[in-house]
Amino acid sequence: MLENDLNVTGTLVWYYYICPREVWLMARNITPDQDNPNIDLGRFIGQNTYQRDKREISFGHIKVDVLRKEKGQLVIGEVKKSSKYEKSAFMQLAFYLLELRENGIEAVGELLFPKEKKRVKVELNNELIANIEKAKKDILRIIYQDAPQEPKKIVFCRNCAYAEFCWS
Amino acid sequence: MKKSLYVFSEGELKRKDNTLVFETQAGKRYLPVEDTKEIMAFGEVSFNKSLLEFISQKEILIHYFNHFGYYMGTFYPREHLNSGYMILKQAEHYQHPEKRLLIARAFVKGAYRNIRQVLKYYHNRGRELGELISLIENLGQGIEDCQEISQLMALEGHIREHYYHGFDIIINNRDFRFQERTRRPPKNFLNVLISFGNSIIYSMMLSEVYKTHLDPRIGFLHATNFRRFTLNLDVAEIFKPIIIDRLIFSLLDKNMITKDDFEHQVEGLLLKEKGKRVFVEELDRKLETTINIKSLGRNVSYRRLFRLELYKLEKHLMGEKVYEPFVASW
Repeated sequence: MLENDLNVTGTLVWYYYICPREVWLMARNITPDQDNPNIDLGRFIGQNTYQRDKREISFGHIKVDVLRKEKGQLVIGEVKKSSKYEKSAFMQLAFYLLELRENGIEAVGELLFPKEKKRVKVELNNELIANIEKAKKDILRIIYQDAPQEPKKIVFCRNCAYAEFCWS
Repeated sequence: MKKSLYVFSEGELKRKDNTLVFETQAGKRYLPVEDTKEIMAFGEVSFNKSLLEFISQKEILIHYFNHFGYYMGTFYPREHLNSGYMILKQAEHYQHPEKRLLIARAFVKGAYRNIRQVLKYYHNRGRELGELISLIENLGQGIEDCQEISQLMALEGHIREHYYHGFDIIINNRDFRFQERTRRPPKNFLNVLISFGNSIIYSMMLSEVYKTHLDPRIGFLHATNFRRFTLNLDVAEIFKPIIIDRLIFSLLDKNMITKDDFEHQVEGLLLKEKGKRVFVEELDRKLETTINIKSLGRNVSYRRLFRLELYKLEKHLMGEKVYEPFVASW
């Protein structure tokens, strides 16, 4: 059914740690309800914070929210609305760092939660890399399935923009 | 929830910085663009390309209606949600006769069940509708046996015809006799109201389709000809009895619309502006009322039900869950 070559993207890594069903839907461009207020808020925060840094930089098929140099070290930042999904955000950023490394660029990452005035450093290490590789394989396994995983009620459903799609 | 904007007066709709303004002889009215779901243009509205650019960017649809309140068309901004996967699935279910029939049948079943529900409601309130209900129930049995879309359409038409005759028993108002269903032009007041309400619900459903990954040109019950929107007509069938017809009954029952709200013109019967306003105000109020959806564990408005119905259809197309139309439970 899917003819285009499927790439694991940062967005899919992000969803993978929240809900595998979202991975499948997103891979087919079945995007969530754009009227959901959380989506708007996330977009607003992404667009209106860190105005002094370089923003929305694309490398190949990844897109980095914020880019800066600190003491000769390249720092890529990922802006998020809330740290509720910190694990997802952490792995997404680690995935970017690995993609960059594979293209010969060494960088460190920083998760940015402007609303909470919180930052979290992300640095690649062997264990993290192994985890990303495992996740990438599993993401491909999910998206090559014919049907999405059945909806399962989890804590994230409460604010999820797919909730009405899944539970209608 | 974002609002529908109804424009009845004559004037110019403009972009003003990052908002909308409607300028009439009486003055300017600023309209919050972020809070606007769609624009329903009934009056003589003029606008220019920069307005169209602006509302395209904001993903707002403009539905326009003629002087008599009939749906004329929609300014439909470029598709913003694209899923090749979903379009292929939709086309697949359209092209495969059995798959198409299954969905078309579900729409007719939904319409039938909601019609029956409306009749039962009034029957329980003392209207003599028992005979009509059993007649319609008999016809409803035949839905499963239909093997052709044309048979389904005919059966639905048949059910609706009987149903409309129940209107006289429900409404019981000499000024608003049903007689027969007439369109373009409707021949009596009641037909004007039905056409007006249906026009609005079709356009609202189109706005909801725009917010999904479905293609409004590929309908299952109504024939697709790729030039006009049909999917919205299909899904709206389910909601017409419980939204529009019930609204009409209540407007007439409360004398909120009377024969004085109409005028005869050379080309046909016209619902005057005041009547149209009352109609849409009450419709909006109805669409904002919420009901609890068990599976979802939330309250959703009637208007939101339109979208949920499309989501259910998407899941059917994906092969995930067989589509079951919404049926009112009261």
